[in-house]
Amino acid sequence: MDKLSDLRFTMESCNHCGQCKWIMPAKMHGWDFSEMCPIHAFYHFDAYSGQGLLNIAWERLDGKLEYGDGLEDLIYSCTACGACDACCKVVRDMEVLDTIYALRADCAEHGTLPASLLETAEKVQTSHNIYGLPHAERFAWLPEDFEDDPDADTALFVGCSAYRQPEIALSAIRILKAGGVRFKLLREDEWCCGASLWRAGMVREAGELIRRNVETFRAHGIKTVITACAECFGSFRNGYPRFVETDYETLHISQVAAQLLEDGKLHLRQAEPLVVTYHDPCMLGRLSEKYVHWQGEIRAYGLHVPEKQWRRGEHGVYDAPRKILEAIPGVTLREMVRNKECNFCCGAPSAATDPELARWTGEERRREAAATGAETIVSACPFCREALDGDSGPDCVDLCVLLARRLCEEDVQ
Amino acid sequence: MRIAEHIYREFAAVVGERYISDKEYILAGDRAKTPEYPMEYHSADIIVLPASTQEVVEIVKLCNKHKLSFIPFMTGALPYAYPNRDGTVIIHLKRMNRILEIDETDRYTVIEAGVRHIQLYPELRKRGLCYPPAAVGPGGSVLANMTSTDGSNHVQHGFSRANRYLLGAEVVTPEGEVLRVGSLQGDAGWFCPDGPGPSLRGIIKGYSGTHGQFGVITKIAVGLSAANGPAEIRSEGISPNHKVYMDHPYSRAYVFNYPHIQNVCDAMLALGEAEVCSTVQKYFYLPLTLMMTNSANEFWEKWEGGYKDTMNMPLVIHIAARTQKEFEYEEKILFEVAAETGGERLPPELENWWNEHMDYFMLVNRLQSVLRLGGGWMPNKIGADSVQHMCDVAEAMGEYIHEYTDTGKIFNAPESYQIIPMEYGHFAHIEVLFMWDRCKPGVMKGVGEFRARSRQEDIDRHFHSETPGSLMPATMDLGPLYSNYHLWLQRLKQSFDPNNVSNPMM
Ligand code: SF4
Ligand code: SF4
Repeated sequence: MDKLSDLRFTMESCNHCGQCKWIMPAKMHGWDFSEMCPIHAFYHFDAYSGQGLLNIAWERLDGKLEYGDGLEDLIYSCTACGACDACCKVVRDMEVLDTIYALRADCAEHGTLPASLLETAEKVQTSHNIYGLPHAERFAWLPEDFEDDPDADTALFVGCSAYRQPEIALSAIRILKAGGVRFKLLREDEWCCGASLWRAGMVREAGELIRRNVETFRAHGIKTVITACAECFGSFRNGYPRFVETDYETLHISQVAAQLLEDGKLHLRQAEPLVVTYHDPCMLGRLSEKYVHWQGEIRAYGLHVPEKQWRRGEHGVYDAPRKILEAIPGVTLREMVRNKECNFCCGAPSAATDPELARWTGEERRREAAATGAETIVSACPFCREALDGDSGPDCVDLCVLLARRLCEEDVQ
Repeated sequence: MRIAEHIYREFAAVVGERYISDKEYILAGDRAKTPEYPMEYHSADIIVLPASTQEVVEIVKLCNKHKLSFIPFMTGALPYAYPNRDGTVIIHLKRMNRILEIDETDRYTVIEAGVRHIQLYPELRKRGLCYPPAAVGPGGSVLANMTSTDGSNHVQHGFSRANRYLLGAEVVTPEGEVLRVGSLQGDAGWFCPDGPGPSLRGIIKGYSGTHGQFGVITKIAVGLSAANGPAEIRSEGISPNHKVYMDHPYSRAYVFNYPHIQNVCDAMLALGEAEVCSTVQKYFYLPLTLMMTNSANEFWEKWEGGYKDTMNMPLVIHIAARTQKEFEYEEKILFEVAAETGGERLPPELENWWNEHMDYFMLVNRLQSVLRLGGGWMPNKIGADSVQHMCDVAEAMGEYIHEYTDTGKIFNAPESYQIIPMEYGHFAHIEVLFMWDRCKPGVMKGVGEFRARSRQEDIDRHFHSETPGSLMPATMDLGPLYSNYHLWLQRLKQSFDPNNVSNPMM
């Protein structure tokens, strides 16, 4: 993980242009749904934004700002959705989100982490899941007659959401089975992916868990990890390489399913028409680009030597979920204004640290979804699904659940 | 706590606890971080986020009562938006962000200070209307651009300066009175900028904006024009490789490269005389290469690889006609003028960049990529006069800028200036966007030398190309070139703002 001192060039390059708060111009649509940063839209002060956090990080780096008095709360109200980063990087060579991560690492070292984060870390360490539920029950939902392929070099990494939303895991299994994919589950060897640790700046704890998980993949001979959770997906691709060399490929279930559909290996049945909108999870989209560490020199006028491979959100997973939705008979997709690399966060990452902000963010996203006229919000992440479910308006369903429901019966046998 | 508790409480009673802060980390969010600008910055003591004109009035009165300075604030991209002394209240206007009215018949819109270009422009386009957005980028406040900059913009050849689109305005004076400027005063609506007597709009806005020195402008009306082209803009691709199209058969961009600025000048005047083309601009090749590339490294590759030679004097044209006949006519004139003046059309792969980035003509998008090299930049001159006068300024600059570019004091791009005619060549604006290596120790000395030289050359040659600003010490030198405006400004400031609390820059 980068330290604040690695990011001085970014901090000093910001000129308060404000683009990190606003929708990318290519997606301009009107007055509404034009704000990109949840915390800025909610709290309004510039300190609550990518730009403001850069300022704060710079003052921390130069020893001009102390923790306490609520600074930690501000830092962890940020959902780390990366909208600021992607919007800034349309026109800049700056690492806004990495600076936010580094600020969190600084906070973990010198400040007082919010109690909810410490609790989560404790749960992950003792129970290997974010909920503190018994590890032995992680796969309790698995049907007794389920059989995987012990010789497969592909693992379905179910993730902690298995406890709360097993239907997602079951659906992923149905899809893989229907498509004839050889895979196995890691069962008791599957521990939390560590997203809540590394994204919170708990570098030591995250590093230990990540190294352990990568070793587990190796011990099981895993070459490909399939996830049904965007947080796990983004962590394996974007988080893990910050700590350890990785030698596995990561695929999201939507990528696998889209390929199976294209290869004619999945067959879908007719059903009632359904108008949906698709919510791009941050960690499946703009934050899922593979992290490649850069070390070198920034010469005069920004020349990076050696050349840096920038992550600007361009290579996130955007097409696969849409291809699936387009392939499901009767489903009509209506896009929200803020979509793909320009999506608006669901708020889930701040649910523990700033529940009021998280609730507002989810509601704001639901309002945007409703404006499309969709009956259902489809997402591809269990956390987004939970955050975007509401009492009125559109319901929210996970992509693989929707797809599994529409599989022809004979495929599922 | 920087100010006394009881004073803080008075401000909090106006805006509510949620919308005021004096916490150091909140203040840090709006502390100036522009190491390249040679200004002495201070931190605000508190930041308040009012939601209405009435709240602004009460805040301003409290500032007078307690002798606190105040600065109306929006994006904060320009240095004069920041506190220049201790004891300053930042009045952040972002919560006042409503589009209050769009009058499609009389073609104006009424907006609050917090409305951004990225919000207003597409809203208007849906209704077949538009305005010329100033060159600040999509996240800039429309009101701030219209009132606190000179309003130069990239489509001003066929439009005009943005400040000519500024109509009625609501202003909270430095002492907290609400002033309604223009037809608004007589409750006759927002459509007219000036009423009887001296131009109050001129006083609060002037040539280049008074940057909050005459109070807080809370609402304005903006005059609108018809927008040729579709209501919805089509875009494709994923950032940073977006393409934005103007799906319209009579819209097209062209780029010609010229051998010399006088040829460009002749072309501009001829196109103006014929009253054709919606955009005509001699663009600066350094920002242009930056806009056309996606990283500093790619910039260097393209810049050294030929862009700086192929496009060292580019004239960018946009035709946005209403009919086939009009389009053909404008294109015919354009090609004739280019042939007569020695313009060489760029190869399609370079010219097409413009046709695939039509958001440039709508929002001046990607402009912020000029800072991709890491900062260390300054727009210089930014004045306006006749087309020929501006081209003379540019040519004269060639006599001295090499002392700075050849020695590495500033970026080696001696022709990196833009000249944009306004109102079909009636007059023109010049901007020299020069850069320096921000990380090089002692670099500001050379930058300061270049700025001082540039200003002195203008004074010596009686050029109107340096911006007369707002009582900034450097611009005091320019006063005599501009009818001693600075003395008038000082007198006005003293009478409007006896406590000198409204962004006291002097
Ligand atoms: S972080 Fe980037 S986009 Fe935001 S204000 Fe700074 S430079 Fe602009
Ligand atoms: S990561 Fe998201 S919530 Fe945090 S500052 Fe950036 S845009 Fe705002």
